[in-house]
Amino acid sequence: MRHLIALAALTLATPALAAPEVGRPAPPLALTDATGKPVRLADYRGRTVVLEWNNPGCPFVQKHYAGGNMQRTQATARKGGAVWLTINSGAPGKQGHMTGAQAAAFVAQEKAQPTAYLLDPQGIAGRAYAARATPQLFVVDGRGTLVYMGGIDDKPTSDPADIATARNHVLAALAEMRAGKPVSQPVTRPYGCAVKYAG
Amino acid sequence: MLTRLSCLLALFASLLVGGVAFAQPAPHITATLVAESSRPAAGRAVTLALAMRPAKGWHGYWQNPGDSGVETTVAWTLPPGVKAGPLQYPVPHRLLIAGLMNYVYEADYAHLIRVEIPAGLAPGTPLPIRGNARWLACTEEICVPEQAAIAIDLTVGDGVADKTATFDRWRAALPRPLGDTASFAATPGAVRLAVPLPAAMAVADPYFFPLTDGAIDYAAPQAVSRNGDMLVIETKAPPGGTTPSAIEGVLKIGEGSGLLLTAKPGTVPAAGTPVAAAAEGAGGGGVTLLAALGGALLGGLLLNIMPCVFPILSLKALSLARSGESERTARIEALAYAGGVILVCVALGGLLLALRAGGASAGWAFQLQDPRVILVLLLLVAGIALNLAGLFELPAITGGDSLVAKGGAGGAFWTGALAAFVATPCTGPFMGAALGAALVLPAAAAILVFAGLGLGLALPFLLLGFVPALRRRLPRPGAWMDRFRRILSLPMFATALGLAWILGRLAGVDGMTLGLGAALLLAVALWWVGLRQARGRSGSWWPLAPAAAAAIALVAVIPRAPAVAQPAEGGLLAAEPFSEARLAALQATGRPVFVYFTADWCLTCKVNEKAAIERAEVADAFRHRNVAVLIGDWTRGDAAIGRFLSGQGRSGVPLYLFYAPGKPAVTLPQVLTPGTLTALTA
Repeated sequence: MRHLIALAALTLATPALAAPEVGRPAPPLALTDATGKPVRLADYRGRTVVLEWNNPGCPFVQKHYAGGNMQRTQATARKGGAVWLTINSGAPGKQGHMTGAQAAAFVAQEKAQPTAYLLDPQGIAGRAYAARATPQLFVVDGRGTLVYMGGIDDKPTSDPADIATARNHVLAALAEMRAGKPVSQPVTRPYGCAVKYAG
Repeated sequence: MLTRLSCLLALFASLLVGGVAFAQPAPHITATLVAESSRPAAGRAVTLALAMRPAKGWHGYWQNPGDSGVETTVAWTLPPGVKAGPLQYPVPHRLLIAGLMNYVYEADYAHLIRVEIPAGLAPGTPLPIRGNARWLACTEEICVPEQAAIAIDLTVGDGVADKTATFDRWRAALPRPLGDTASFAATPGAVRLAVPLPAAMAVADPYFFPLTDGAIDYAAPQAVSRNGDMLVIETKAPPGGTTPSAIEGVLKIGEGSGLLLTAKPGTVPAAGTPVAAAAEGAGGGGVTLLAALGGALLGGLLLNIMPCVFPILSLKALSLARSGESERTARIEALAYAGGVILVCVALGGLLLALRAGGASAGWAFQLQDPRVILVLLLLVAGIALNLAGLFELPAITGGDSLVAKGGAGGAFWTGALAAFVATPCTGPFMGAALGAALVLPAAAAILVFAGLGLGLALPFLLLGFVPALRRRLPRPGAWMDRFRRILSLPMFATALGLAWILGRLAGVDGMTLGLGAALLLAVALWWVGLRQARGRSGSWWPLAPAAAAAIALVAVIPRAPAVAQPAEGGLLAAEPFSEARLAALQATGRPVFVYFTADWCLTCKVNEKAAIERAEVADAFRHRNVAVLIGDWTRGDAAIGRFLSGQGRSGVPLYLFYAPGKPAVTLPQVLTPGTLTALTA
């Protein structure tokens, strides 16, 4: 009885998160891009979609942009037919929050290769995907099923020198999908800065 | 906002141009390498510390940083043969930011590193220790990866430690290994852990910090309860995670005090008595407050059926039904009762907040930790029980005389106040979660939670007052009421018994005897009061005065030191506290010495003590051979004991050593039998 009450209190106290799960349909996504155009995940049914949580002020994001690792990963993914959506869930006033114009400038300056840079200042998409770190990546297959979630690679450091020897989880997952194989490491640990949600 | 962003972009651009992304002129956390001994001995180990000092507002990360962040690493450059062990992390804090959990250090902390110096080095050999440390420094807003070259020059020497005090303080902050294995059970969405921990071991704000990633949802609250010698932790599993083969982590049991443990898949008992806990360091927000309020209301409602409250409520309801008063009077009485209940709850909450402000880490049961409060409650409950049993009549409760005649509202108010005060010992088990939340909520919100508790407690009586239909469904008054009242005294006596037991735990047998003596005195005085009442004398209350005086005197003299904390009370084996000096002195006299190391949180230790050590046959055998017994109590992580343990190659307790005269120590098995011990003296 007491136990039930404690559990009930717990359940109430936990924010309701529709937490994503590998092997299940990816949570829906409906945001606007840097130019104000609406973009939905459902628009890309039939194609592989990579979601990248981004905060240009985060040193761990900078680790992968400064040396061009993220841009190369984006280019490789898109060459293989995938859609790449970069998402910014930084709340206004928090580190890395950007307006559409700033986002477009960021993409141009970094020579980034996303299909679209999406703005999520209220953290709706971020909460739906339980995105906790930047960078954090998700891969959704053509049927809308989540097949990968986690970090960009397996070297959780801020040292750019580690990129050369790291396993790029996203490229590995995309290669396995193209070969018709299941993703061998479907859940990994993202590392980096906390997503700067409102509140 | 824009300027801030442009600053960030400018920083970003400069980093790109510079190519060196991590040059920090002034780090937000400074790291210094310190050695416990500047002249470590060859063939032995020396402890180094990476002392970290975060600037105000900045924090560093635990080994498992939580939802984001990274652990601290050191790339060592060491002289040939010198080996550095892993970084050891002190027990961290929780920092919840916008729903994401961070396991951090917000004040100065130190990583200890065990460094092995190879044998055969000549004294005077220089030992340059070099390394590159990398860590992440964050505020609630931004993160900066930092690094520093760390260095210290040591010389091979006599191994004398010169910074013992500082290192002992750092060692005390490290988690201590729990000797026993914990178990866990994972179901989709939920994880439950059972940690063996003696029921007598008090814990404050317990929290399980997982080292194994993907085992639990970091940001989810943890429900912690005690079921006998098991501490049960229930929380959410992360979505889509796979069940690990083992869960490692640190169970925090008090401020800066933690136990390092490994849980294997196994059975987890049902949750027991909840422990006030699992409140996040920051955040919270409306949802938490609402849940805490709901929990408080529900808890208050449930309190009505607790043995220590139900008699009062029933009698109040009975007197209301019996009086046959007007609707208006009934409502006023109900409101007065509710007012009394809520006022006392809020006052208790205010007291708790005052204690909290005073830095005392007090749970709801904070009253139960002070034997004087327990004594007062014991006398109060005993008095109520005797009243219910019919020894004497109390105006406010039975509604039989002057107070009610003066107006029911006053009597009802005091009955409500009494009900709330009496209910406090029962709230611990019911209210753990909500009150734990109240302790970390802002003061206004916390008071609101206490008011909710009072409202819940008053709700049934309010209903009786405002819904006459309910009152009419109460049984008709009659002779059975007296019988019922007598029966209701039984749970009240049981409550008094429980309080006497708690008093015994807090103040020892002497304290409990004093308390029971006071209760006896009170009973005699009340009996006298009852006799005078029966004869219809006025001023029948004066016999209570000497009893009250005696009780006040007792409150002043009752022992306050928790007797349970004394290790094994020396008792049967005439044991003494352990120290290396005492051990050496005893050995010098040629006596055999049995040394055992224990801790209140170590279940194996307690089982061994009960089943094998504190036995008459062992005591006889030891006395026969004049065996001296020393106890090392490591409950609070005593540094001298910690050093002795590691000198014996142990990281924790239990440890049983027997020193026969002139012989090296024999290490006894971790599971003892009386036979093992008596055989030592054969």
